Amino acid sequence: MTAYHPLPRRRVLSGVVAAMLALPLALGACSSDDGAADDGKIELSFFWWGGEARAQLTEQALALYTQKHPEVTFKKTWQANQGYFDKLATLTAGNDAPDIFQIDDNYLAEYATRNVTADLAEYTKSGKIDTSKFQKGLVEYGTVDGKLAGLAPGENTQGLVYNKAKLDAAGVALPTTGQTWEEHIAWAKDAAAKTKVAGTMDPSADYKAFWLWLRQQGKELYNGSELGFTQADVQAWFELWKGARDGQSTPTPDVIHEGNATDVTKQLVVTNKALTSWVWANQLPELQKNTKDDLAVIAYPGDATKQWARASMYFSVYRGSKHKDVAADVLNFLVNDPEAGKILGTDRGLPSNLDIRSQVAASTDNAAMKETIQVMDELGKNFGPAPTVPPKGHSTVRSELIKAAEEAQYGRATPAQAAEQFFAASQAAIKR
Amino acid sequence: MATTTARPSSTRPPAGPAAAQRRGRPAKHRTDGIAGYLFLSPWLLGLLTITAVPMLMSLYLSFTNYDVLSDWESMEWVGLDNYRTMFTEDPSFWHAVQTTLMFALVATPLKLAAALGVAMLLNRPFSGAGLFRGLFYLPSLLGGSVALAIVWVNMFNRDGAFNSFLGWFGIEGKAWVNDPDFALGTLILLAVWQFGAPMVIFLAGLKQVPVELYEAASVDGASPWRKFFNITLPMLSPVIFFNLVLETINGFQGFTSAFVLSNGTGGPVDSTLMYTLHLYIKGWNEYQMGYASAMAWVFLLFIGLVTAVVFRTGRFWVHYSDGED
Repeated sequence: MTAYHPLPRRRVLSGVVAAMLALPLALGACSSDDGAADDGKIELSFFWWGGEARAQLTEQALALYTQKHPEVTFKKTWQANQGYFDKLATLTAGNDAPDIFQIDDNYLAEYATRNVTADLAEYTKSGKIDTSKFQKGLVEYGTVDGKLAGLAPGENTQGLVYNKAKLDAAGVALPTTGQTWEEHIAWAKDAAAKTKVAGTMDPSADYKAFWLWLRQQGKELYNGSELGFTQADVQAWFELWKGARDGQSTPTPDVIHEGNATDVTKQLVVTNKALTSWVWANQLPELQKNTKDDLAVIAYPGDATKQWARASMYFSVYRGSKHKDVAADVLNFLVNDPEAGKILGTDRGLPSNLDIRSQVAASTDNAAMKETIQVMDELGKNFGPAPTVPPKGHSTVRSELIKAAEEAQYGRATPAQAAEQFFAASQAAIKR
Repeated sequence: MATTTARPSSTRPPAGPAAAQRRGRPAKHRTDGIAGYLFLSPWLLGLLTITAVPMLMSLYLSFTNYDVLSDWESMEWVGLDNYRTMFTEDPSFWHAVQTTLMFALVATPLKLAAALGVAMLLNRPFSGAGLFRGLFYLPSLLGGSVALAIVWVNMFNRDGAFNSFLGWFGIEGKAWVNDPDFALGTLILLAVWQFGAPMVIFLAGLKQVPVELYEAASVDGASPWRKFFNITLPMLSPVIFFNLVLETINGFQGFTSAFVLSNGTGGPVDSTLMYTLHLYIKGWNEYQMGYASAMAWVFLLFIGLVTAVVFRTGRFWVHYSDGED
């Protein structure tokens, strides 16, 4: 029977196909609104990484902004650090980056040199973003090629966190700021012998420790977009830590590898596999949550005035955003408004605005937090000039350092061989 | 519906000139073809939009310096540069190739051997056979899962279950997953353990082997080994071939477990830097998407080549019963 009526069926089926073909078009049409409706309302998209706690604080602070500026609402998206930058890159590739997004110094130059971020300098010059109360050096540390690519909501600096409880119990003298690297390594050997826990985590794979050590030798990790050190420097650094390993000051290589992970919960000072961890000073409160032992923080060894105010992260504004002025005002609000500062606390590092920082310090009842702020304020008084933001390729340099340092730690390469490998690989990474 | 399914047999064209003379026949053929494509269309649309177009895009990108973040306008055609860099200037590329070959060439045969061994055990009739089949199949259901890789990492860590087991024999273990000499080994073990899918296929194949063959062999006094090599293996060879092709391709594409174990770095000391992981790092950490696309195409060609070689060798050891009948 169907054989005699081919046309109607074909028509029906072609209708079905047409409908299926048209479906994506219809969906596409739905999504083409740009957040600026006729009634003057503005919706800004805001994207950050972090946990549940950060999400709550951020949402509260943004709600406060909306309360003060009812015409501005936010489309908030957040997720864990893992995968965050994949998503941000994908959104950017589709010309659909969020109006405001969180970023760190690992990636800031990657985005800024490719013209993804708006230059915030025009807002700091006009006073729309006020940085007059900022910790010295923080604005410079957000500047890439003369443009302010990101505004730092928080500061941190290198901090050596140690297990105070264990050291006190074993009657070992506590480490102090200002010890030389050699003194620290000798201290670690003694502490290990008395506590039966590895003395100090081996930071030879840690770019922030290497960077500071370089600065103390009058070098830099980067000069602009060039490497600021020589192969001989790397070798000396690796040899320093080979000496420490041979002298029983550090854990075994497989444990060091664990400590090279960046998660707070895997740091050796909280997993009790070493007496110290080389972290950022503002991580002390977070580390303290993961162990019952009393922890404390000091500067890294060597000349502490070579440490610098590092932006714990930045807020950047997308260059293609239709509401850059509003976004800049939101950033100004988040970093300078006392009420917002009270809500946000030290979740993104110690507040960049020093007035807000002291206000937070006065109101907190968290002992670890109080100590962090006190130590960092003390260090901050003597900070020299900040280095430039790490250039494009920095994340590769970081992973190449881990690779080379681990080669040396596992004894698969001599410090000289590992240094040669790292130097060649980082040169290639920076040049590309 | 009934009329539709009946159509093919009723309209099968009788061969010869008579068929060509009947008017309307070619047109009807055409509508049949269209109907076929229409029924295929949901899948076809998916293939075109989600697979084919992006694939061609990536082929194009592989000749450019596309970096994900910059505007499209700043993308430049670089010809074969990405391919040249890959073969001559990227030591990690060759390292990744080596790691992947090592992984695939060790894990695949072991996995197939484990699958066949367990399938033969489960092929015997015993009570609870179904339950055991299910249990052995379970790990491969969780195959690419992140959760499983995390469990694995913990198991082979310093305080993991594996070291507790070694402890019973007075052996002191280490953090296997953190040791560049053993990390890849733990991943191979994980892959081998997930032998469920080829096992089920082997089991189906074993059920097809005629019992008479074994009976006849027994009458002739053949040993179990003899039966295995002279009956089971030849009769099963098409199934082995099928599993070998699939598992080889799978093996080369290993990614999840290496990514989880190394936190996306390929560490310790690049020991778990699989090809796919290196590709991911190039594309998403270093934003060299053009280069990553080139790597993907080289990979595709390589896997195609390996599969072709497996097919070629198949004619020497795969016995199809219908060919011999």
